[in-house]
Amino acid sequence: METFFDNLFSVFFIETLLNGLLYGGVLALLSLGLNLIFGVIDVVWICYAELVMLGMYAVYFAHNVYGLPMLPACAVAILAVALLGYILHRVVIAHVLGKAPINQLLATGGVLFFLQSIATLIFGVEFLSVGVSLGSFQITEDIYVSKSQLVAFIIAAVTVLGMYLFLSRSYMGAAIRAISQDREIMILMGVDANRLYGITSAIGGGLAGLAACLLALQFDVHPFVGISFGPLVFMICVMGGLGNLVGGFIAAFVFAQLIATGSYFADLEWGAVLAFCVFVIAMFIRPEGLFARKS
Amino acid sequence: MRFSHMLKGIAFGAAALGLMSMSAHAADKVIKIGVIYDYSGPLAGGGSELQALGAKTIIDHINETGGVEGYMIDAIYADAQSKPDIAINEAVRLIEQENVDMLLGFYSSAQCVPVSAKVDSLKKFMWITTCIAPDVLEGRGLKYVFRPQVHGGMFGELSVEFIHGVAKEKFGMDPKEVRLAIIHEDGPYGTGVAAGNEAKAKALGMEVVLNEGYAATSADLSALVTKLKRARPDVILHTGYNPDITLFFRQAKERGLKFKALIGHGAGYGVADSLYDALGNDVDYVFNVDPVSIWLLDPKSLKPGLAEITQIVGDKYEAARPGTTVKSAHVGMAASNAYVFFNDVLPRAIKTYGGVGPDALRQAALDTDIPEGGTLLGFGVKFPTPGSTTMDGQNERASPVVVQYVNREVKVAWPKALQTSDPVLPLPATSPYAK
Repeated sequence: METFFDNLFSVFFIETLLNGLLYGGVLALLSLGLNLIFGVIDVVWICYAELVMLGMYAVYFAHNVYGLPMLPACAVAILAVALLGYILHRVVIAHVLGKAPINQLLATGGVLFFLQSIATLIFGVEFLSVGVSLGSFQITEDIYVSKSQLVAFIIAAVTVLGMYLFLSRSYMGAAIRAISQDREIMILMGVDANRLYGITSAIGGGLAGLAACLLALQFDVHPFVGISFGPLVFMICVMGGLGNLVGGFIAAFVFAQLIATGSYFADLEWGAVLAFCVFVIAMFIRPEGLFARKS
Repeated sequence: MRFSHMLKGIAFGAAALGLMSMSAHAADKVIKIGVIYDYSGPLAGGGSELQALGAKTIIDHINETGGVEGYMIDAIYADAQSKPDIAINEAVRLIEQENVDMLLGFYSSAQCVPVSAKVDSLKKFMWITTCIAPDVLEGRGLKYVFRPQVHGGMFGELSVEFIHGVAKEKFGMDPKEVRLAIIHEDGPYGTGVAAGNEAKAKALGMEVVLNEGYAATSADLSALVTKLKRARPDVILHTGYNPDITLFFRQAKERGLKFKALIGHGAGYGVADSLYDALGNDVDYVFNVDPVSIWLLDPKSLKPGLAEITQIVGDKYEAARPGTTVKSAHVGMAASNAYVFFNDVLPRAIKTYGGVGPDALRQAALDTDIPEGGTLLGFGVKFPTPGSTTMDGQNERASPVVVQYVNREVKVAWPKALQTSDPVLPLPATSPYAK
């Protein structure tokens, strides 16, 4: 019978920590777009994971049906979901801006069911696989690192840095930050708020498309794939402070490590129980999110 | 003369009218059946939609050939959306608003457990074609719920029996030295099969080095893979649906998990085409426990007439899903179990017990006595006398087999009497998982 300390000083605990780190990268990448949109437009896209799902279909069709190499297929998916994000804003979100949050949630929740159903009608319920595997690095006899998760981790880190530089150094980024800080004044100063919201939605959609490219390497594509990670990503954004890119990034790693280590030392389900307990306690202590900016 | 002609004419007309009214009356006879499967949600692609196709194929065939004892089947199809709460709502809607005479179908055990109790309490007849968890019937004393299908405990027991039976010859190991790992989705289906695995391993003195459940919607199973690597099993006994199965295989490959054999237990493992499409030849040499695919059975071993039904089901399957290379056992399973009802139980209910009410259907089901070779799946059907076992309504003559996937072909590996080829194990070196 292995004791707690046997497990703690085992090589497999190191692999568990690595698993948590890399899984955190995947979750961080997923949370980026959702956080950006909430931070700027102040509307939670409950349907965000469904945009990712459509991005995965775009990768599948571009690569497997139309024969594009993987990188151009990813570019197509990113552009397609960016366009979808823009359309979503113009068709749905623009009409609920400034309305009660519950109305906004119901509107984007409706879009969630619409996208799931339309995907079922168009693509069917079959599981589709892109069939591309990046393989893994073998570090020791027992420790392996998944290349697709490592790429997700690196891209998440680079994207957060890129978004930070974009928002802090570019003219457009400054405008986006400005409108997220004071919507009324910016409009009075002659800024076209709708254009900025549209651009932000397209960037958020593009980030969903980017996440879709990496998830398509791990998951089969089907209309309900969003169920697997949608709620988790939403909780991560809330825990990090909705709208806080860096907070969401850190929360993703905290969540992933709690799940990984909890699952390692106890039954698998206990990992999620531990993470959700920490989430509930965090909400009691700081309801606005652990890393929320003070207003 | 003219008068007698007139009389004859009137008599003939009256007779014709009588016949017409009788025939109209016969055509009016309808049994309304609520058919519930998952046409959307993750379970649809995981096998439920194929099961629905199998049941619908038989219902259409029965109607095309004139119905059952003067009754036509009015099937109302409903989508459980892969959610237990929707399954309950749809069952109640069909019973209370559509006034169906009975329910048929159900893929997910997580749906069957609550729905069967609800339907039984409403005193309606329920014929389960698929969901296998023992908990659906075990110790519940349900009166109107019948399952001709194999139950999960049998699945779990057979895979362990198989490994026990081949360990010496294939692994060169005493069966008691073989390290078993049981991994399963944590719903009634997974836990039911896992309980069968564990009970049989205990009975045979085999070592279980890991027994872990996980949520079928998990986005990451790397922790499970790490625990398996730590436990170093020779054989993995896995029960899951399709999205989690492919995720597990990918993460196991990326993280260097090695084993000598892996045995799946139905559901996602029963859709070989999807597994091959998702994982390529990595699926080769994987085993699966399921009722035998109806297309693998020797027609000569079946009752005369059944081979034609198998052919009809196969033709309709190919027409509905062109390009299918490995016909899924799921379609045949639902078709066989539905056919037992329409060909055996329902005629007896109408002829012997006077109709299609719940008590007539129940009595007819309890009288079922189909010997081996009497169904498309090969096994017989016999339900226990109520109260004589802990599983009222469970077919006592059902039995699964172990099959192996090799080059997109399905071979029967166990029991030995039904083997179509010598099972390949341990995994050959060409497999990325070979130990």
